[in-house]
Amino acid sequence: MSFLLRRLSFYFTAFLIAISFNFMLPRMMPGDPIDALFAAAQGKMDPAQMDAVREMYGFVDGNVFEQYLSYMQSVFTLDLGPSVLMFPIDVTTVVGMSLPWTMFLALGSLIVALILGVTIGTYSSYRREGFFGQFVPPFLAFISNFPYIVTALLLFYFFGLQLELLPLAYTYDPAIDPGFTLEFIGSVAKHAVLPMGSMILVGIATWVFNMRNAMINVLGEDYVTMAEAKGLSSFRVMYRYAGRNAILPVATAIAMAIGFSFAGSIMTEVVFNYQGLGNILLKGIMARDYPLIQAILLILVSAVLTANFVADLLYVWLDPRISK
Amino acid sequence: MKEALLEINNLCVDYVSANGVARAVNNVSLTIAPGETLGIAGESGCGKSTLAFAITRLHKAPALISEGEIIYNGRDVLKMSDKELRDFRWNDVSIVFQSAMNSLNPVITIGEQLTDVIVAHKRISFKQAAVKAKELLGIVGIHGDRLKSFPHQLSGGMRQRVVIAIALALEPKLIIMDEPTTALDVVVEREILNELYDLKEKFGFSILFISHDLSLMGEIADRIGVMYAGNLIEIGDAKTVFSKPSHPYTKGLIASFPTIHGPKERLYGIPGDPVNLLRLPTGCNFQDRCADCMDICKKEDPLLAELNVDYHAACHKL
Ligand SMILES: Nc1ncnc2c1ncn2[C@@H]1O[C@H](COP(=O)(O)OP(=O)(O)OP(=O)(O)O)[C@@H](O)[C@H]1O
Ligand code: SF4
Ligand SMILES: [Mg+2]
Repeated sequence: MSFLLRRLSFYFTAFLIAISFNFMLPRMMPGDPIDALFAAAQGKMDPAQMDAVREMYGFVDGNVFEQYLSYMQSVFTLDLGPSVLMFPIDVTTVVGMSLPWTMFLALGSLIVALILGVTIGTYSSYRREGFFGQFVPPFLAFISNFPYIVTALLLFYFFGLQLELLPLAYTYDPAIDPGFTLEFIGSVAKHAVLPMGSMILVGIATWVFNMRNAMINVLGEDYVTMAEAKGLSSFRVMYRYAGRNAILPVATAIAMAIGFSFAGSIMTEVVFNYQGLGNILLKGIMARDYPLIQAILLILVSAVLTANFVADLLYVWLDPRISK
Repeated sequence: MKEALLEINNLCVDYVSANGVARAVNNVSLTIAPGETLGIAGESGCGKSTLAFAITRLHKAPALISEGEIIYNGRDVLKMSDKELRDFRWNDVSIVFQSAMNSLNPVITIGEQLTDVIVAHKRISFKQAAVKAKELLGIVGIHGDRLKSFPHQLSGGMRQRVVIAIALALEPKLIIMDEPTTALDVVVEREILNELYDLKEKFGFSILFISHDLSLMGEIADRIGVMYAGNLIEIGDAKTVFSKPSHPYTKGLIASFPTIHGPKERLYGIPGDPVNLLRLPTGCNFQDRCADCMDICKKEDPLLAELNVDYHAACHKL
């Protein structure tokens, strides 16, 4: 347990630092960002609402410490004020609508790339001398070395514009009512193919190589030789005895990859006009919608930290030597 | 002499690398009778483990069996199909590895590592196998509750016992033990060897016991073979090899070990370094380190010759 508690307190501290940074940011900008914000709102807000936003940022009367406390209170009660861009909707609501799509994109592509990469990596280490081991990993490395934006635009161009096989925008067909229907799920899947596919293509090689290298180390271990000497099937030796251990260093890399995947999904959403947080963030920045930007940063930080904690849980489950 | 359980004829194992071919086992022939303990001694790097690995074809690239036969109960191991080989492994010959500490997988419970081999070879369920596994742990003196433990939760001696329990799981006729106790302290080593001998009485398996500790081997082996640079240079009954060795290398090897009971004597090492397998001399491999070296030793390989009934050595002087 002590391991998880230590991690949890680490994440909590990281979260506090991140939101404190969020608090200082508007104060470090030249001029009063709140005035700039209200200018941008172009009179859509009434004075009471403007006060609410001020309060949310902690621009209340009193010293910095009191301001900080007031800011913290609004963060922890999720009282983040209305969005300027989509006035008068609360930023919490705006974020709540797009967050699931970003999670779906970022975590979905990470999980698929991970599963495919680990399987291919394991197999190619076992068949190092054969065609598969010789050609598949270098080919994947070649693909993933393209800058992401090139891969994404190429896919966008061929599958979307030229072949017209796949949709180029939105998370699902607006003509379909959302719900737990086959039609809706099919539409979501179809709209996810290109954005997710591009992220998987870029991400997969890392996992293939991580896993392959880890496997090559583990295959020389005595317990693998012993498993072979026991006359176990090669499938069992490969996945249970060698793969089970080789995945440990790979699992530690997951935590880091989660952050990258969220960052990557922001770019993806812009390219494929996918209605996730990244897309909203871009629009928010252009409209100087400070409450929205701050809320999105806050949510991204929480999402990444939570996902990291899940990765820690996974690691504890995988390695019994870590204290529970 | 009884019909041999295992018969190795002219076995050669090579390590192929960019620098050349290193022959780690050269033309080795030996037999093991049912219930017999054969010890193999020799300094580090002489090819003991390579020989042991070859018996169930465990060597991996760059190792290669280039010549010879391994006959177990009338069947040639080198000609077995993958399926036959899998059935043969552990059912007939099990192995206690040199680093028994590392031969247990750290992230799999010892229960699973015991039961999976039983399930892989017998038509029984994991549940029935678990009962058998408990029994096996009992035999080596470990409480059945330990099935759920991971290797790091056991002491070194206990892990060693678990490895022995796994080796006994299918009641094989031959157990290969590659320096099974080198990592343990003397007291635990003694305990485990005594237990092993009780088990041997009970189950009647043969043992191929590999060690570089000749005094230990003198106590437990029926016969001893001594290897030098991949060659078997002396083999015969344990008493004679230990007390009246013939080959100059064996003499040096025995003189370099302290005896437990005898009077305090000066220990003699063997001068010089082990030969490089990639640059073997013409003639006897031991010539550079041998005090009795003659002209012929530099020209012709000494062959294993029968000195007595069931006693062989390879040296021109004999
Ligand atoms: N993978 C390998 N590649 C090349 N040469 C090897 C390899 N493994 C072993 N050898 C060589 O084969 C020879 C025999 O090695 P082996 O492990 O059988 O020795 P050993 O008698 O068991 O020694 P020890 O007492 O140290 O265990 C050594 O000289 C070693 O250098
Ligand atoms: S053959 Fe010659 S060199 Fe070799 S051990 Fe015998 S005496 Fe020594
Ligand atoms: Mg060895």
